[in-house]
Amino acid sequence: MPPPGRDMHEWSLACELVREAEIEARRRSALRVHAVKASVGVLTGVVPELLQRAYEMARQGTCLEEAPLEIEVEAVRARCPQCGREVTLHSPALVCPDCSSLGLEILGGDGIFLASLELEVAEAAGGNHV
Amino acid sequence: MCDTCGCGLPEEAKNHAHEHDHDPGHTHREEAVLYRNLLAANEAQARENREHLMEHGVLAVNLMSSPGAGKTSLIEAVVDSLSGKLRVGVIEGDLATDRDAERIRALGLPVWQITTGSTCHLDAAMVHEALHRLPLDSIDLLFVENVGNLVCPGLYDLGCHLNGVLLSVTEGDDKVAKYPVIFRYAQFFCITKSDLLPYVSFDSSKPQREARILKGDLKTFSLSAKGGEGVEAFLSYLLAERHALSS
Repeated sequence: MPPPGRDMHEWSLACELVREAEIEARRRSALRVHAVKASVGVLTGVVPELLQRAYEMARQGTCLEEAPLEIEVEAVRARCPQCGREVTLHSPALVCPDCSSLGLEILGGDGIFLASLELEVAEAAGGNHV
Repeated sequence: MCDTCGCGLPEEAKNHAHEHDHDPGHTHREEAVLYRNLLAANEAQARENREHLMEHGVLAVNLMSSPGAGKTSLIEAVVDSLSGKLRVGVIEGDLATDRDAERIRALGLPVWQITTGSTCHLDAAMVHEALHRLPLDSIDLLFVENVGNLVCPGLYDLGCHLNGVLLSVTEGDDKVAKYPVIFRYAQFFCITKSDLLPYVSFDSSKPQREARILKGDLKTFSLSAKGGEGVEAFLSYLLAERHALSS
């Protein structure tokens, strides 16, 4: 039986997050990874708490073992075709808060990203990088 | 000398505006701003799958729904109505068992079962594996039956040409607004088990209207795989899409 939490898409995304972060840390010859930041769009349906839990498991045995994950939730940005307003929504229900129109044009908040890494790096070449 | 913080410079020239630990080995903290798309690898594999399917002239259709909405029954009904007009193959995705694959095998069709174990969705890499196990040159129409789930599959492009959501009338007519991600991702929407409409409180016009509002060009169907009503219209749609692929 896999550990709890591996049954959601958050598990696959956490694995991808760890993989990308490791690649980037190596590419930059980082000596240590201090922190990881992810950005999760509301429209992805990804649950931040589940992603956090999945990350705790996925990072085991990697250079991220001491790097906490911070998740920023990106609200949906959309334009209403009826009233023309640009709106910000904090739930995936795509309804214009002003005129109740549906059919909103999505401008952001539908992606999931490795946003940034806080790295310890050497001034010059050398050192035992991760 | 460390040129980031100026530690080799006179005290007054140092710029310590950025926070960092400073050890004798001259290391410092830096923030790497990346905004790297975590679905990019899947999207790249999906594009490859699509090209591979095109090369073999296969129209691939991803069927998504909650468990029990009738994905396998719809495939059976389509195969029955096709009466050999197209050669059908199936990729079955399930958490466990190959019961659905057995049903397809009983129809004499090529089928490959993906047992995801605990993963709630299929992804492009799993489909890629399955494509190599199927006789693609003997298939015109490939159904990919996703794991029963209305949330997760909507994030993962499999490389299919068409993605469809099934909603059975017993599930309630409020599901489109509740699961917008998967409906936005789809090209068609089938209300299934329409033969049960007299027994349930389900206003078919509501989810169809809401789905079209979410996605203007979404094709919608209402059908009963058991009774056969509406299956012909869906079949015509698939035949037209298959024709468009090869022309």
